[in-house]
Amino acid sequence: MSIPAQLLKKLVQIPIFQGLTVPEAAEFFEVALEQTIESGHTLFREGDEGDALYVILKGEVSITKKGIELATLSTHAVVGEMSLVSPGDTRSATATAKNDVDVLKIPSRRVQKLIKGDHLAALKVVANLAQVMAQRLGAINDRLVGDGKKKGEARKEELADFAGILNRWSF
Amino acid sequence: MTSAEAAPWYFKKAARIMDVGERIETLLATPLRSVTVQVSIELDNGEIRTFKGYRVQHDNARGPMKGGLRFHPTVNHDEVLALSSLMTWKTAVVNLPYGGAKGGIECDPAELSVKELERLTRKFVDQIHDMIGPTRDIPGPDVNTNPQVMAWIMDQYSRYHGHSPAVVTGKPIDLYGSRGREAATARGLQFIAREILRDVGQQVPGTRFAIQGFGNVGSHAARLFHEDGGKIVAVSDVHGGVTNPKGLDVPGLFEHVKKTGSVRGFGGGTACSSQDVLVTDCDVLVPSAMGSAIDKHLAAEVRARIVLEGANAPCTPEADEIFEQRGVLVVPDVLANAGGVTVSYFEWVQNMQHVTWDEERVNGELQRVMKEAYEKVGQISRSRKLPLRTSAYVLAIGRVGKATVLRGI
Repeated sequence: MSIPAQLLKKLVQIPIFQGLTVPEAAEFFEVALEQTIESGHTLFREGDEGDALYVILKGEVSITKKGIELATLSTHAVVGEMSLVSPGDTRSATATAKNDVDVLKIPSRRVQKLIKGDHLAALKVVANLAQVMAQRLGAINDRLVGDGKKKGEARKEELADFAGILNRWSF
Repeated sequence: MTSAEAAPWYFKKAARIMDVGERIETLLATPLRSVTVQVSIELDNGEIRTFKGYRVQHDNARGPMKGGLRFHPTVNHDEVLALSSLMTWKTAVVNLPYGGAKGGIECDPAELSVKELERLTRKFVDQIHDMIGPTRDIPGPDVNTNPQVMAWIMDQYSRYHGHSPAVVTGKPIDLYGSRGREAATARGLQFIAREILRDVGQQVPGTRFAIQGFGNVGSHAARLFHEDGGKIVAVSDVHGGVTNPKGLDVPGLFEHVKKTGSVRGFGGGTACSSQDVLVTDCDVLVPSAMGSAIDKHLAAEVRARIVLEGANAPCTPEADEIFEQRGVLVVPDVLANAGGVTVSYFEWVQNMQHVTWDEERVNGELQRVMKEAYEKVGQISRSRKLPLRTSAYVLAIGRVGKATVLRGI
């Protein structure tokens, strides 16, 4: 589908679409489908096959895992982006429309096709996605190691600071 | 402030100037191990007496810990702890591969017979033999302990661990002791005096020295300064002092001491008190008696241009400050009297290698060590505009600190 230039300008500000020129974005979103999900209906469920990513254009989506709400996402948030790089993997959480939600659905199979054809915009999106995921992985690692790591770092700095002092005072 | 509190205070002062973090400061100041032991012996009359013995091992980053063992009624844990830290900094200033330690027994040796002293010494070794050793902690002589006491320590330790002369230094020459050990502290003072006088554009010949204390350090210092052509204008011991502005007849003085056991009553000068010696008109003052001999009031009256600390902490920190304000050069204990521990180190080296050095070699090596330490401290003092004492502590903290960082926590 073709997307109005005004919306495209907003879309390229979303982290995983950053760096796309408006014409590139227009080309990329050619493969997108616009959908409306009624309040209370799901975009996908935990365990479903991941076949598309969604960009929320209007409304709010609740992300839950085993009944526990992990996050609420709204306009211009991206949902299900992992499916772009690992098509066929199952969804790790459930996405439910909290009210009537308009989304752009981008089927991963179509994106995969673009990537195979060295489509520049698609490659840029995948590169952005890799960056976003690396940041998330780092954050998870920090949380996993928790306070212990912080203390370890402080001690190392203290000894290193002292070594620095000794260098400044060495004769 | 007691003399025992001085070393930790100077350490803190230097550490703050260097901007060492609080936790690193604590790490460096806290002793590695500290024990109090019961030392019970049977007196000659069959009575049982129980004494308290202490050994504090302060820091071993730079090597086996080294420090004296004193027998004195006022020995207590806090004093031994503070003096153990002084040894850490002192061995670092003269760059010996040692850490610091100190020990003592709370007793009055004047009340004990030789046999009782021997039992006391051996019993103390029974209590601490598993924490000392040639590569762990090496005691040496200190207040009221002599080469004979060191010989007993070596023998008692060897009963547990096999022949181990290197477990203790300051032993008799005939039992693995080192030549030059007895006069070592004074010889260190002599080398430092030569250096600092040259730095201020003076020479030892003609320089006027006043020496408080005529024991192992003071008496040898008087002899050595005299040999270098210096004038000894005042000396004192616990009984009193004698002064002569034209210079005392040193060989005559030694004759007198040999006969009477004291410098008091020597005819070649005017009788004076021990305190008078401290404020006598002289170029170099060598306090080599007790700690805290010079407080802030006396410091204001001292007329010497240079103070050489032959004893440990003879100037209180308050006195030290006054000297700094008045521009009196103070060569601190950690540098000035380090000749003793340096030759103790040479004794240990000879024992470890099963060799004997002649006195010429001992004195030559000592001169090299003292000169090098003096130059380093002077370099820091000039480039950082710090007094010699603070500079010596900066050097020591740097050396101990580097070893600590390299080894890791």
